[in-house]
Amino acid sequence: MTGKKLLLKALKDRGVKYIFGYTGGAIMPVFDEMEKLENFTFVMSRHEQGAAFMAQGVSRASLSTGHPQIGVCMSTSGPGAMNLVTGIADAHMDSIPMLAITGQVATGVIATDAFQESDVVGVMMPICKQTYMPLYADDIEKTIHEGFYVATTGRGGPVVIDIPKDVQNAQVSHDYQFDPVAFRPHLPGYFYSPTPEREPLQRAIELINRSERPVMFCGHGVINSNAGQLLQKFAEKVNIPVAFTLHGLSAMPADHPLSLGMMGMHGTVEANRAILEADLLISFGMRFDDRVTGKLNEYAQNADVIHVEIDPSEIDKNVRTSVAINADVYRTLHVLLDDPMVTFKPRRRWLETIDVFRNVMAESLAAEIAHGVGTGNKLLMKTIIHQLSEVTQGRDLIVSDVGQHQMMAARFYNYQTNNSWYASGGAGTMGCSLPMAVGVKLARPDERVWSISGDGGFQMNAQELGTIMEHNIDVKIIILNNGYLGMVRQWQTFFFDGCYAGTPMQSPDFKLLAQAYGIPHRKVENLEDVTPALQEAIDHQGPMVLEFICDPTEVVLPMVPSGGGFEDMIVKHPQKIDKDLAGEGDAA
Amino acid sequence: MKRRAILAFTLDNPGVLNKVSMLIRKKMYNVDTLTVCRSRIPGVSRMTITLREDDQTRVTQIIKQLEKFTEVISAKELDTDHSYWREVAIVKLEVDVAHLQDFTERYNFEILEQKGEDVHILQIVGSTRRIDAFLDEVGQEHIIEIARTGVTALEK
Ligand SMILES: Cc1ncc(C[n+]2csc(CCOP(=O)(O)OP(=O)(O)O)c2C)c(N)n1
Ligand SMILES: [Mg+2]
Repeated sequence: MTGKKLLLKALKDRGVKYIFGYTGGAIMPVFDEMEKLENFTFVMSRHEQGAAFMAQGVSRASLSTGHPQIGVCMSTSGPGAMNLVTGIADAHMDSIPMLAITGQVATGVIATDAFQESDVVGVMMPICKQTYMPLYADDIEKTIHEGFYVATTGRGGPVVIDIPKDVQNAQVSHDYQFDPVAFRPHLPGYFYSPTPEREPLQRAIELINRSERPVMFCGHGVINSNAGQLLQKFAEKVNIPVAFTLHGLSAMPADHPLSLGMMGMHGTVEANRAILEADLLISFGMRFDDRVTGKLNEYAQNADVIHVEIDPSEIDKNVRTSVAINADVYRTLHVLLDDPMVTFKPRRRWLETIDVFRNVMAESLAAEIAHGVGTGNKLLMKTIIHQLSEVTQGRDLIVSDVGQHQMMAARFYNYQTNNSWYASGGAGTMGCSLPMAVGVKLARPDERVWSISGDGGFQMNAQELGTIMEHNIDVKIIILNNGYLGMVRQWQTFFFDGCYAGTPMQSPDFKLLAQAYGIPHRKVENLEDVTPALQEAIDHQGPMVLEFICDPTEVVLPMVPSGGGFEDMIVKHPQKIDKDLAGEGDAA
Repeated sequence: MKRRAILAFTLDNPGVLNKVSMLIRKKMYNVDTLTVCRSRIPGVSRMTITLREDDQTRVTQIIKQLEKFTEVISAKELDTDHSYWREVAIVKLEVDVAHLQDFTERYNFEILEQKGEDVHILQIVGSTRRIDAFLDEVGQEHIIEIARTGVTALEK
């Protein structure tokens, strides 16, 4: 038996079906072995970053299926491994379990600055959950299984395993001998406590029963522990409205009467106003990052905070809790649902207050969506997303890139399917969508998958059209082309006096680009063509690119300025505010 | 700022010190000393970190971040009332013996070597403050070189 065989057998044992990656000198032995086995589908990305996001897509999308899979990406040493960095750091920020396997130069030349040697462990250490460098083939089995264990337990995260080339080739005297039942990784310093303790739960229930203006928070932990249905049941049981973090979206139907939509910087008025007025926040699986809280010392001043979170280091990190429950969200909700002490309250006044908040922007947004076009009759992103939501009845899987289009996709798609929304949140990595959509589609082949990017982000990983072409991966690709790095442009409009430095962008002819990969393309400029184009993409078997020409002056509102409190929420376009003051109405 | 000591037991793996020092840099902690030694248990190291921090929540955060490392078995704060904090200093100084004699009563030091007329190498053990006081009293102008271990600490 050889190290490389042990590696692949261990991956197989863990249910790995797809390996995303790119070959090179230091990983060639593993690729060679992989070619001889028929166990894996190898998917070659066109850049290692793409492979990392594809692996993320598999992990993210499959976790709510009967067969969760852990995404695996693989690269050679040096530049190959360095190209994985962004995708791994991104997975780390978003708590996505995945495995990155990198080839390393042979042990005999490590530390000599050998050809394509880089200190992968040193680089990866601060941006992943754990790193390994097995120095003997005998260690490989244990390392892979321990790696899976660490990646998938507690708060998930990426694990990097850097394997020197000679270790891949080395002979071991025994066969593959892993015993999953007997396996107990020796990790005396690794703890996680999934089961909630009785005492804080009791105090939490008391607070919930006593509260008059509670808000529940649904974070990524709800999705990751697959607890969406339980959360919805619990919200209904106690009659408490739910606000979502970016990554909590799709845990519950977006149009559920208790849903407040997204909170935070680009959250809804109702979510942010409700938080401001709340007397109790019950937060499930989230970390109160600055995009969610705004200015910390003004955040939820009058509210008690119950924080249910698997990672103890997140508790009391940004927001002081009244009750901390360091446990798995699913298990906690399970116990809460069964507890006879938890009571339903009508909370009529509170829900009425919230309805007032809902109405602050509802009408103007609805009017904008219906109008559909902005400056120069160019399309509005929110309208396109809205129409996508209508034609797909909110049931499809949405993989977004980073920018204005992302916030529009978060806000205006009516998510009906559990775990149907994917994006880079913590890191906000442009270019994630196209490759991540590949992984999502492979993990959930029976569902329709849309990749939504801006003209900027699309070009950051556009090379992955090659992978999509080669494997004929049926993702519907939407480019919301506004000719700008729109999200940054929006900040420039609001905070830099409209000086558009480094944000206007020339794009290639996306039609020719798509055609070069043999993928059909439609360019949509008129409102009446939006839905028919979406329908055409749905009817088309296989991938298709839809490019929508969008209004660069459209902004995502409301917006809580970075470092501001919820009181500072901007609900109107500044140009429009000026015109209002001048009595010129809303014609922008 | 308040001085704190954190005691951590860690696996004796190559990456641990790296992780701890990266954490210190990333979170911008004001670390004064960091000492590592073997513990009674084979394969387990004992790490003492002293730092300056008034904010208790920040200290709690450091401990939680340390505990988050797979290789850290336990981490906790030691307070001055319930633990001993000690360090060793080796000092090379130029001073005549008579002057040193003044301190033998009050300070626990040992002369390791006398080089020539009045160059001495001595070793002193005690709390950081005690060593500082000794050096001040002897007179900083006499000191040629100092090596200090940094603090190690033990719970009472
Ligand atoms: C890799 C990377 N570089 C830079 C940024 C900063 N950034 C955030 S959004 C954005 C603009 C995105 O433009 P585009 O993809 O066209 O989307 P739009 O906002 O126009 O919808 C930029 C540059 C980022 N998030 N990621
Ligand atoms: Mg754009």
